[in-house]
Amino acid sequence: MPTLDYFSILQSLAEREVEFIVVGGMSAVLRGAPLTTRDLDIVYRRDAKNIERALAALHRLDARFRIKPEMSPNASHLESTGHKLLNTNRGRLDMLGSIGKQLTYEDLIEYSDELQVDDLRVRVLRLEKLIELKEELRRDTDVAMLPVLRATLAEKRKLNRK
Amino acid sequence: MADYDEGVEGLVDYDEAGVDLTLIRYALSLTPGERLQDMQDCVNSLQRILDENADA
Repeated sequence: MPTLDYFSILQSLAEREVEFIVVGGMSAVLRGAPLTTRDLDIVYRRDAKNIERALAALHRLDARFRIKPEMSPNASHLESTGHKLLNTNRGRLDMLGSIGKQLTYEDLIEYSDELQVDDLRVRVLRLEKLIELKEELRRDTDVAMLPVLRATLAEKRKLNRK
Repeated sequence: MADYDEGVEGLVDYDEAGVDLTLIRYALSLTPGERLQDMQDCVNSLQRILDENADA
């Protein structure tokens, strides 16, 4: 297992100008929730140009399917709304065509903002939307995360009122 | 929780769900880049321990 370096993965995607939104546990971390996560989940725009840019970034990261390490993602994989669970030379990256009730990049963009992550501008899902999605899904892993997400949102709101 | 907190009243801060609010306040005091680094350091440390104890 390579030493985890999420920043390098974000950097590779940003350098190729891939359009994406960080979702899942990593969006919670970037928004201030004290959680750990072992993968980076992103929802990406599934148009031809963005897929081409994403493939260039994935090639540089030597991305391969976790279930089938001999297979690298191709354009046809990225065109799908499904989840592409990948290993890269910098850690695990999940390329998600959609999340929840088939919500795509275009559906989620209004629930996200660009955050400054060191010298990168990274689009990240808002906590409110992440909580809503996890409440809808109701899977055990989602439910387990909810108390921390709700408490983080409450603390953020308190800080904003000050 | 009450037994554990005996003698340290006022020195802990949990919400109703048992979430440690001191951890949240610490994370919120960091920039997004620092939050990423902090989490990554934590996961890498755990992974090192797991790797060193693979037979355990």
